[in-house]
This record gives sequence, structure tokens and C-alpha cells, in this order.
Amino acid sequence: MDTLLGKGREAVDLIVDPNSFAQDKVGSLAFTDATFGPGAVVGEAKLDGQLVTVIASDAEAFNEKFPVVYSGIIGMEEGYKMAQAVYASLAADAAKKPEQKRAIILVVDTPGNGPGKVEEIFGMNKATGAYQLALAEARLAGHPIVAMVVGRAISGAFLCHGLQADRILSLDAKFQTMIHVMPITSVSRIIKKDIEVLEELAKSNPVFAAGPTFFYQLGGVEELVSEIPAMREAIIKQVAEIRKAKAEGLNAVGPRGRGKLGQERGGRKVRPEVLARLNAEFAAVQARFRPQAN
Amino acid sequence: MPNWTKIQTSSFLESNARDRAIGLVDEGSFVELIGPFDRFCSPHLVTLGEAVEFDDGIVTGVGKIGQRPVFVISQEGRFIGGSVGEVGGAKMVGTIDQAIAFYDSLIAEFPELPDAQRPLVAISFETGGVRLHEANAGLLAHAEVMDAIQRARHKVPIVALIGSRIGCFGGMGFVAAATDAIIMSEFGRLGLTGPEVIEQEMGKDEFDSSNRALVYRTTGGRHKYVMGDCNFLVDDTVASFRAQLTELTLLPIAEFESLRRIGSEALVEKQLRGVALAVTIAPTDSRDVWRYAGNNDPIGLADGPIADFRKTVKRLVL
Repeated sequence: MDTLLGKGREAVDLIVDPNSFAQDKVGSLAFTDATFGPGAVVGEAKLDGQLVTVIASDAEAFNEKFPVVYSGIIGMEEGYKMAQAVYASLAADAAKKPEQKRAIILVVDTPGNGPGKVEEIFGMNKATGAYQLALAEARLAGHPIVAMVVGRAISGAFLCHGLQADRILSLDAKFQTMIHVMPITSVSRIIKKDIEVLEELAKSNPVFAAGPTFFYQLGGVEELVSEIPAMREAIIKQVAEIRKAKAEGLNAVGPRGRGKLGQERGGRKVRPEVLARLNAEFAAVQARFRPQAN
Repeated sequence: MPNWTKIQTSSFLESNARDRAIGLVDEGSFVELIGPFDRFCSPHLVTLGEAVEFDDGIVTGVGKIGQRPVFVISQEGRFIGGSVGEVGGAKMVGTIDQAIAFYDSLIAEFPELPDAQRPLVAISFETGGVRLHEANAGLLAHAEVMDAIQRARHKVPIVALIGSRIGCFGGMGFVAAATDAIIMSEFGRLGLTGPEVIEQEMGKDEFDSSNRALVYRTTGGRHKYVMGDCNFLVDDTVASFRAQLTELTLLPIAEFESLRRIGSEALVEKQLRGVALAVTIAPTDSRDVWRYAGNNDPIGLADGPIADFRKTVKRLVL
């Protein structure tokens, strides 16, 4: 197998315990309408014997109600459906201790959010944002969340289906995985920079180069997976590591953890300086904003 | 230092980021944090040989409204479209984090602290989202801002103010949607995919970005008010935005929940009723939705004075 691009469903089966994936049911929530958000595949499975929630993009699905939603694009229905799966996971494990809450596995192969007039009239930004808030809530509640990039992880869709995870893994670039905001041809046109200049810089600068290797340098990708069969073990390992890390503090993983990793790998060095300075500057003036005795 | 009184009567649409930040809080109370004198600029712009700004196009700081500490984030559209990269993202996240940490320390010390003395965050958006010059770093910055917003839930209310020239689009479009309350003028615009991108990707038949009336009808303040996405539709002055923000500073955090658009399972179910409506109505224009909401003359409603609009408009009920 030379790529999993466009094969989100196959990726799920390669990751979870054999024959354990039960689609369209998460906790007490059943998705009974096959025409609802077909680009989002949600369900439960066993991973190394443990119950997990699975959320994947399906590039072979086409949403007949919203023509701009195909090829793994996350439309309004898909975004809200994915959010529902997360909230159902939170509800199902509400009574469990943080360290016992189920893992949520995101299988990522999506080229974007639905770009259409109806989407803007009704607010595609809400669907995208809803899924992110749900994932952030689940992550902060203790659920280990691993995003596995098997194909395209692009822009706003990757922001909602991936970037709120505790840890992000990606298949190597040799499997045609893509991680970027938009193609360098588009970037060139929009920021009015010669494409040759960008292509040259992209060979070494992780900030706007496309590809999992560069995202790794920025701290965006925790681990690159060099063989397709190795995905499963990598995810199992990450779930265990995340549980351990979260027991010590919520900033070691998730978007904040990636910030630290980005600094360590040399891809994002100014960010921590800004945060530290802001902290110091507010501390210096805090007294005037404290409550005054009445 | 600009004249605070003069800022009040200024058009919000025309005001720069710093004037907005200063004008939204009480006169003389604003303290800029990580201002231009700190000279933090984007290293990625330097790599590209681009001009930099020492505030990186975003003003952050803290002021007061009454006794309420207000942490302010204000984006500048005149610097690379107000887009967000590594430094701007860190300023946004850092500001929200400070507000949360301040809340935590105040509550630990004063458990009965009145609502009107607890921290609040005000974000004046003017942005196209991810700064393409810092593409991947911009994506990571957006994720951190969303994480910060979730951490602020039930502690520090976050209010979005949208009325600036560029509007609020791209990744910052969902950041705004994730806030607790949204104040807009009719000139503010809020969406995800900008009209130019939709036209480029789907063709002019889908969206004609040169049709300004269409653009405003689709993502402008009036439409967002009908949809319930904008909580408060105000006049285009700094004073009007400030007045509405001031009213919000009196609310306890629990009352902000009813103003939210997303952020819970129940709100997702509500929004899905809207999506089902999109299928039923199949609108070719937002006026179709306005009509469905009970507005018999959507054309007149779109073009009439804003005061009349606020008085007569029927908002969509989901």
C-alpha cells in the first residue's frame, strides 16, 4: 500500500482491533440517518482492548444536500456530527476519573471546510468552531486525543479535525501526506511573492513549507510514522504517554504542549518570549486592576 | 496619547486598532502590554524580506470599565490584513491566559468578589485569519487561541467586537463564533471563507465577490443579527460599541451562557436545526432566510436606517 490518501475508512480498520469498529454509535447517541454528514465517519471501537471513540473523514462520501461537501471536505453537517460524537463521549464517561476516560482517535484526511454561499449564510464558522470547542473540552476533561494524519490535513479543516488533539501523528511524506494552509501556488499569489523564492525557502523553512516533516519541526507533529502498519502501535503508545503526561499537568500536551515542542525543535522561538514578557508586564501593573476597598 | 473623548465619536469602522483598544475602556485606564517598544516582530516576515511592525499588527493590554478589569485584544487590518502568525497568536493567547490567571488568583483571595470586579476579555477583530507568510505557525496559533477560549469558559467572559473594515474571516471566524458574546455594527462582517475565495473555488455563480450588497447581505452585521449569530447590533461609533460592552460588564458569567452560539451539546443541536432549515429553504440569498424568519420586506429591511432595522426586524428562531 503506497498511500492512505482518500482511504479514511481503510485507515480506521488498520488502526483499531480487528472487526471491532461499530459505526454510527457513540455512547448513548445513535446516528440513524445515513444521509446526515456522510463525510464524517464516527463510532466506537476497541484499541488494544480499550474502548475508544473514532472520528474519521471519508473522502469517498458526497453530501447530496450540500454540493460543496465531497472528497473529505468538512461541511456544516459533518462539523456538527463530529462535535456530537465528542459530546457523546464526554457524556458516556462523565462519571469516570480523568485517567479512565476513553481515548478519542481522529483519522485525518480532509482538504478543507465547505466553501459555499449557503455555508456562509448559515455560518460554517460555527460548525468548525463547535467541533473544536468540544474537542478542547474533552481534552481538558482527561480524554486522551490522538490525531493520525493519513492523507490531507489542510487549513481550517485540520484546525477542527486534528489541531485540538493532545498529540498529532502523521504518516511520512512518502505516503503523500500533506499538512499546510494552502498550496504554495496560492500563497504566492495572495502574498505577492515570487513562487521561486517561496519554493527555495520552503526547502528549509518549516513555517510555510508543506509537508509533515516541516510541521514536525514546528512542534505540530509529535511523531512521524514511517510504515503504514506501524500506525496502530504508535497510537497505542501515544495514548499511554498522554495519560501519563496529563496526570502531571494539562499544558504538557495539546496546543500548549506543541508550543513547547516547537520551541525545543527550533521552529517557534519567539512565542515563549512573548508569553513570558506579557506575563511580566502585567505583573508590574496588576495592582491597579485589583479590587479596591469600597 | 490620542484624545479619548474624540475617539468616542469616531467611526468604529475607521478607527485603528490602538484607538479602539483605548476607547473601549475607561479614559486613561488602558495599559498596553507587549507594545511597540518591546519590538517583538515576526521572524518569519524578516526571512521573507517583508516589512515588520513592532506590535505585529495587534494591540494587547488591559484597562477598566467601572471596576471590571478588561483585557483587550485589538487587531489592525492595515498590517497584512490583520492576519495572525506566531507573535500575534502569542499575544492573543497570552492575554487570555493572563485574564484567566488573574481571575483564579482573585477568586482564591476574594471568593465573594462581585461580578463587576472580575476580569473580562474584549476582542476587537479585524482579520483574514492565518497569516500566509507564517502559514503553519499561524495554524498552530489559532489552535492555541481556541484552547485558551475553552479554558476561559465559566470563568472569564470573552466578548467579540466586529465592526472594522476587513471583518473577521478565516480561522478567526470560528474563534469569534466560539466567544461568549458578539457585538457588531452593520458594517462588520463575520464568516469563514471569504467571498473572494468562494468565488475562486466555486465560481462567480456561487458567489460574486464584486457584488458588495451581496457580500454584506451574507456576512454583514444585519444578517448575523437575524441569524442570532450577532447578539447586539450597534451604531458605528466607538462609543456605541463601548456602551454595549459596558452593559455586558455587569453580567455574571452564568448569564453569558444564553448568549453563546456554540460550546455545548445543546447548542450543537440547536445549530443543527438551522442546518436542516438550510436544506428546506435552499436559499440562493440570505433574503430567503430573512423572509422565512417573518420579515416580509427583506429588501427594504436591508437598505433602511439601522435604527428602524433594530426596531422592526424579526430574528430567526431555531
